[in-house]
Amino acid sequence: MTKQPSMKSESISRARFGCAIGAMHTAVAIPGTVPIADCGPGCADKQYISLVFYNGFQGSGYGGGASLPCVNTTEKEVVFGGNDRLRELIQASTKVMKADLFVVTTGCISDIVGDDVASVVGDFQKKNVPVVYAETGGFRGNNFIGHEEVVKSIVDQYVGGYDGPKEQGLVNVWTELPYQNTFWRGDLIEIKRILEGIGLKVNILFGHGSGGVEEWKTVPKAQFNLVLHTWLGLSVAKHLQAKYGQPFLHVPVIPVGSIGTTSFLREVGTYAGADPKKVEAFIKDEESKYYKYIEEFSEFYCEYFFGVPSKFAVVTDSAYALAITKFAVNNLGLIPVKVIITEDPPEEHRDAIREQFHRIADDVSVEVEFIEDGFVIEEALRNSERRPAIIFGTTWDRDVAKDIKAGIVEVSFPASYEVVLSRSYVGYRGALSFIEKIFTVTISASA
Amino acid sequence: MGKKIKQIAIYGKGGIGKSTTTSNLTAALSEAGYKVMQFGCDPKSDSTNTLRGGTYIPTVLDTLREKTKVNAHEVVFQGFNGIYCVEAGGPAPGVGCAGRGIITAVQLFKQQNIFEELDLDIILYDVLGDVVCGGFAVPIREGIAQHVFTVSSSDFMSIYASNNLFKGISSYSRSGGALLGGVIANSINQPYSKEIVDDFVKRTNTQVVEYIPRSVTVTQSELQGKTVIEAAPESAQADVYRSLAKKIAAHTESKVPTPLEVSDLRVWAGQWGKHLLELEKQNGAAESLIKV
Repeated sequence: MTKQPSMKSESISRARFGCAIGAMHTAVAIPGTVPIADCGPGCADKQYISLVFYNGFQGSGYGGGASLPCVNTTEKEVVFGGNDRLRELIQASTKVMKADLFVVTTGCISDIVGDDVASVVGDFQKKNVPVVYAETGGFRGNNFIGHEEVVKSIVDQYVGGYDGPKEQGLVNVWTELPYQNTFWRGDLIEIKRILEGIGLKVNILFGHGSGGVEEWKTVPKAQFNLVLHTWLGLSVAKHLQAKYGQPFLHVPVIPVGSIGTTSFLREVGTYAGADPKKVEAFIKDEESKYYKYIEEFSEFYCEYFFGVPSKFAVVTDSAYALAITKFAVNNLGLIPVKVIITEDPPEEHRDAIREQFHRIADDVSVEVEFIEDGFVIEEALRNSERRPAIIFGTTWDRDVAKDIKAGIVEVSFPASYEVVLSRSYVGYRGALSFIEKIFTVTISASA
Repeated sequence: MGKKIKQIAIYGKGGIGKSTTTSNLTAALSEAGYKVMQFGCDPKSDSTNTLRGGTYIPTVLDTLREKTKVNAHEVVFQGFNGIYCVEAGGPAPGVGCAGRGIITAVQLFKQQNIFEELDLDIILYDVLGDVVCGGFAVPIREGIAQHVFTVSSSDFMSIYASNNLFKGISSYSRSGGALLGGVIANSINQPYSKEIVDDFVKRTNTQVVEYIPRSVTVTQSELQGKTVIEAAPESAQADVYRSLAKKIAAHTESKVPTPLEVSDLRVWAGQWGKHLLELEKQNGAAESLIKV
């Protein structure tokens, strides 16, 4: 595939991420936790509507969406500062809403005006009110950056110091960004399942498989941190390493399908010192189930050889793009013709991301492009030297998919034509759902 | 169609004598028969003190803090010779956004058409020191003031603040903002002070409107909580302000200045520094000659 220079435009149309305060959903993703948005009403609502609603229609959960307490900043708070209003809101929220933990996420106004959120929240903390704050003004970056801020705030201000013993076999998992990743709920359940399968005890920390703040309190006790992402969570793991002396294992490829998942489990098992017999027994059991389905699917795959796509494009964040590309190449034998990374990963991680894509398989290497602007992405897909027959992208890419007569599988924010509940695309079970989705789209083209 | 109100913004580095100059100018304009308002745009809210016997008035923002809706008449107070005095005010130091406060206060007056209602001839905005953020630039944006004057001494930091203001004026001038009327040279007692300011205005394509000498009459008047016009109407200093008022009342054409780049400004200041040192040496030599 030919290398195309990364194109930069002065604007971002059809955005594929939220702003830093979108990380209020990091709090929503922790059971029993309620965010308090220190921003204007528009900011809170927009992040919810985009990241949660028109993205798989995930539902607002216990403390998100319409239940989310918000300062609703007005001109008065701009001119005179919003400390009093925030204090009032925290007071009222703790009275009205039952929660194990409140997380104040600040927006641009509060951060620019210079509200002293630390001291307002600090006063409550002194009275043992479970509340923390994170500075997530939009100008600080996107919701990926905001997520790491929120996580570190909870660790530093709520979980606190720990110098007791570590629990062998307990692992903290830092992986997909909740809500931003349309399938995070199902994916995290599957990641937890497979890691438990090889004998580990898993702090999955977010979603329906998480034990909420009680689980977070055990973060410092974990034997190690597992960063299962191209880059997100690395700064958290380094922070925990410095704070609790915890080592971390970085696995950039979220495993999809048996090949990736099996090697992932062996790598983690070896690192954790898990019983190899248990690891292999679990793998054997999972693979036997997995391949039964694959065997049955192979009839369709062979019969429909003329209708299945061979070339694909991926337009999503770096972690899911890598996971999907690896799976599509190594398990399905498809050829990547265009990979566009859309989450604006920090500069320092880009070479490592590029390097991962150079090693998709022994004989497959891809040059990725980092693009955030919807128009430029559309042009890159439309003018791709080799036309993709299927695009793993977002709702934004439907128009260009139609124009170039490609199928589209929505795998990323915004996925507004997908209703997602517990569906996962990772691990053993998720891969089967992913295959179902890919080939349902393919076969539907002739309907 | 009503008459066109002349709206003037006066800027300058903090402590340079901006409020003193503005208040005396306002008083002189009023004395000359114009209906004038002085609008203090500084969170310190002491711009109009000498027009009201040294007293403070409730500010627009103090009033807005208490209630959501404010009738602008509640925050207009009359001072010497019927001059209308307004103080925008600001948040407590260290909190909130004073710049936005100025915008809020000015907008409140515009929305309620108070200037027209009071049938004003001239409004003078006395704006806090440097143009630190967009809020303090609001009087020079489109639809507020037409003319800007800066009060400056020959002190480098004061010239630097004026140059910054010129930058603000040139950028807003592209979207119909206020233009520069000129520099009001303040505390000009030494011959070299005049030369420095003259050289600066020449390089930045503007003019000196008036040279105002440092005077003890000003201090004496301010200690009584009054302007020179009120406290010492017969003094020479009062006549200087009257002369300034006359020029400002007659002023019609403002221009876009050509501010210096910071590096050029530093070189320029350096050259003047050397020149002044030489002057000092010569004076020193002269003094020692006298001693001998």
